[in-house]
Amino acid sequence: MSDKLKQIIKKQTQKENENLDHGEDVVQLVGFIIGDEEYAVPILSIQEIIKPFPWTRVPQVPKYIVGVFNMRGAVIPLIDLRLKFGLSPKKHNEDTRFIVMREGDDIAGFVIDRLTMAIRIKKSDIGPAPDTASGDETAIDGVGKQADKIITILKVKKLLKRDF
Amino acid sequence: MDEFQEILQDFLIESFELIEQLDQDLVELETRPDDLELLNRIFRVAHTVKGASSFLNFDVLTHLTHHMEDVLNRARHGELIISPNIMDVILESIDLMKALLNTIRDTSADSGIDVSGCVVRLDLCTKGYGDVEAPAAKPAAPKVAEKVIEEVAEEEPSSSDELDYDNMGADELEAEIERLLNERMAEDKARRVSKLSSGSSSKEEDDSKEEYEPIANIPVVVTPARKPASMRDDSDSMDDARAAAPAKKQSSVEQTIRVDVKRLDHLMNLIGELVLAKNRLIKINDDVEERYEGESFLEELNQVVSIVSIVTTDLQIAVMKTRMLPIGKVFNKFPRMIRDLSRELNKKIELEIFGEDTELDKSIVEEIGDPLVHIIRNSCDHGIEIPAIRLEQGKSETGTIKLKAYNEGNQIVIQIDDDGKGLDVEMLKRKSLEKGLITEKEADNMSDKEAFALIFKPGFSTAAVVTNVSGRGVGMDVVKTNIEKVNGIIDIDSEIGIGTSMKLKIPLTLAIIQALLVGVQEEHYAIPLASVLETVRISKDEVYTVEGRSVMRLREDVLSLAHIGDIFEVERILDSSEYAYVVVLGLGTSKLGLIVDTLVGQEEIVIKSLGEFLKGIDGIAGATIRGDGGVTLIVDVVAIMDMAKHVKSTALVDTTSDAAMLTHEKTKASDYTVMIVDDSKTDRTIMRKALEPLGVTLVEAGDGQEALSILKQGDYNFDAMLVDIEMPRMDGYSLATEIKKYNRYKNLPLIAVTSRTGKSDRMRGVESGMIEYITKPYSADYLMSVVQRNINFRSEFLK
Repeated sequence: MSDKLKQIIKKQTQKENENLDHGEDVVQLVGFIIGDEEYAVPILSIQEIIKPFPWTRVPQVPKYIVGVFNMRGAVIPLIDLRLKFGLSPKKHNEDTRFIVMREGDDIAGFVIDRLTMAIRIKKSDIGPAPDTASGDETAIDGVGKQADKIITILKVKKLLKRDF
Repeated sequence: MDEFQEILQDFLIESFELIEQLDQDLVELETRPDDLELLNRIFRVAHTVKGASSFLNFDVLTHLTHHMEDVLNRARHGELIISPNIMDVILESIDLMKALLNTIRDTSADSGIDVSGCVVRLDLCTKGYGDVEAPAAKPAAPKVAEKVIEEVAEEEPSSSDELDYDNMGADELEAEIERLLNERMAEDKARRVSKLSSGSSSKEEDDSKEEYEPIANIPVVVTPARKPASMRDDSDSMDDARAAAPAKKQSSVEQTIRVDVKRLDHLMNLIGELVLAKNRLIKINDDVEERYEGESFLEELNQVVSIVSIVTTDLQIAVMKTRMLPIGKVFNKFPRMIRDLSRELNKKIELEIFGEDTELDKSIVEEIGDPLVHIIRNSCDHGIEIPAIRLEQGKSETGTIKLKAYNEGNQIVIQIDDDGKGLDVEMLKRKSLEKGLITEKEADNMSDKEAFALIFKPGFSTAAVVTNVSGRGVGMDVVKTNIEKVNGIIDIDSEIGIGTSMKLKIPLTLAIIQALLVGVQEEHYAIPLASVLETVRISKDEVYTVEGRSVMRLREDVLSLAHIGDIFEVERILDSSEYAYVVVLGLGTSKLGLIVDTLVGQEEIVIKSLGEFLKGIDGIAGATIRGDGGVTLIVDVVAIMDMAKHVKSTALVDTTSDAAMLTHEKTKASDYTVMIVDDSKTDRTIMRKALEPLGVTLVEAGDGQEALSILKQGDYNFDAMLVDIEMPRMDGYSLATEIKKYNRYKNLPLIAVTSRTGKSDRMRGVESGMIEYITKPYSADYLMSVVQRNINFRSEFLK
């Protein structure tokens, strides 16, 4: 049994090493869909991804803050990215997920339409945000180019910042 | 470097603790200048700080404390009488010492503060009486401190001459060393004789040792030649002390442990979680009890739940107690403050303190310091009259301020009484009018209590001149904000010429509170019970409208009302019932009736912050996690009372516009939608087969809960529902009752389809709002016709 485990661990480390070898500066991202667009955030800023569950509405806040929910004893704000990005509200369905993101002490859950996948992308393939959406105000960190599409990479820090 | 940091931390903690006691001792000293015990205690503080700081290379601090020590030493030997002027200098030097320690804490260095002025003044005090040789014969009591002097003598020539004494001439230095050495030799002899004679004095010596020893063990500075001597000296006397009083030593050492506040906070958080889990357990127990009524295992479960509940409560109290500090920690600084103020204001003021042992949560103790300072300053400045006026009015020349702390139920009351001139209601109103804080009309309608509360308005000040002490109109506003921050309330009472009494009522702890849970529509909110005066049930016609605001009559008073739903913008989905509940909130002197739909009950809740992202939302003080795992928001009573003034009353007005949504124009058969609710797949299929020929849209649900959530989602506009009665989770009757609560489904036809045929069953069906009752088995045609009739199916859609 322990031999088997060792083997598996060995394999994994090997694999990791391989990965490290040829991906000199690789960024790991998690992609998701909001509306028609694909977005991504760095995998390390994601604390967890959960299926939707009940939340409590909070008064006196912008519409895109749908409320707060309980994650193992912590009260966490829930933000609907559809509304935040100016899209129309949509009923939660089977694909809907809450992504809980953390940066330092700031933490919040975000409602997204659908997860796509974990993406490894070379740093050299990430371009800057378009000129029209640059500066401190934008939530766009950069644009990741992939073979068949481009992905908007979001600034987690900006998403977690209170702006009302 | 880490080791140094650790030592530094210990040094700071020790020093701050010592200084805390110091202020009080010094003020006491002024009234009893010849109390040797007191003098020795003060001297030891200066000495300990000096010794430690010289090891840690804090030159400025060493320099200052050294000179303080000189003055105190003279006083201790009866060579110097502590006059108020000398006391001022000593107090000044202690303030400097505090400032230096604060600087050290923040920057790990003691630069940036100029002490030379104070040192010169200290020196003047010392020199005023010459460099007298210490008397040869000494009483027993000062002997202890003498012992300390020896050690000073031991280390000064070695470690200090490059550190301090910069200001001293070479001769002076020589003389000082000479004196101390002589002193020590004489003392050495005296000690050998009297060493074992008195137990109490060796105990004290032990204390001074304890303060000193860790410093001696630090392997940093100190010239090696001196150190062994000092060490041997130490161990000598230690042995002596142990021989003399071993029992005392044992019992005085292990009494307390210093614990990092973070650990206590963590413990408190864990207890919070436990309380939540307990609430949840109790809820589950209730549910289980309901479902399995009469089962024997219930009793056992009940017992376990109640034990867990009791232990959790006890544990919570125990942990709360570990966080408690005596309020004396705050009170201690007031004698000094009163002394300074009375000198500054040329008044005679005496402070009496009662109940300094009363304990409060650490976080609250930290919050109430500032408000108390403001209140007491206010009493000194505006309350107590100058001596001449007091005599004129037949009062004693000396004014008295009483500071009391005591427990009252779940609260701590801090009472500040003065026997000054009292608050003049008319004057308060006039001043507020002048400053535009209130309107003429408000002033006329104001009760005395409300007028007293004016002093808490920002910008309010009665002082004609802005002094160092008060008159800026900031202080009392701070008091109110800080006290409200810890959920406390302020109560003022005053009589002209007799005095003013102010009561601060503060909850024991912040983290866990009793709350009243209220419901509005489908939402729940928690209101801190401390602010709830009472609850009353009213019917709609008891609400009157005066100038566009809802009010009601509560016994003799008129109570202004606000609907919680209006304040929190709650969407009205549910039909409001004929009755509503009014939660009467009281905060100091103001009251508000908060209309809610239901009262859920009283519960112990753990306050959680909404975090950085959502903090500071109007009307919300925080959140708590309920027994069912859901989040409930906690109402900020202070804010809500303010918000209620600006909210338009739409309360208790029925809005039935939603009902219009149900009557869409039907253009084809599939526009009709019918829900089938049955737990049996077969039954659902039978109904589906029976209705399919109609061509209507059919939606299925497996039980009441599922049906309800489909309704809530609002994806379909249902025209009718076929409901089975016997279902798990939620049966047909409850489902019907729930559905009828919603405005928009009030007119939705509910058709019971069941095998229950009893009369009482039919009656219950009618009561819960079912309009048709079909008994199984039924023919497909019959079902179809009933449905057709109830959804007003247009015949032209029939194929």
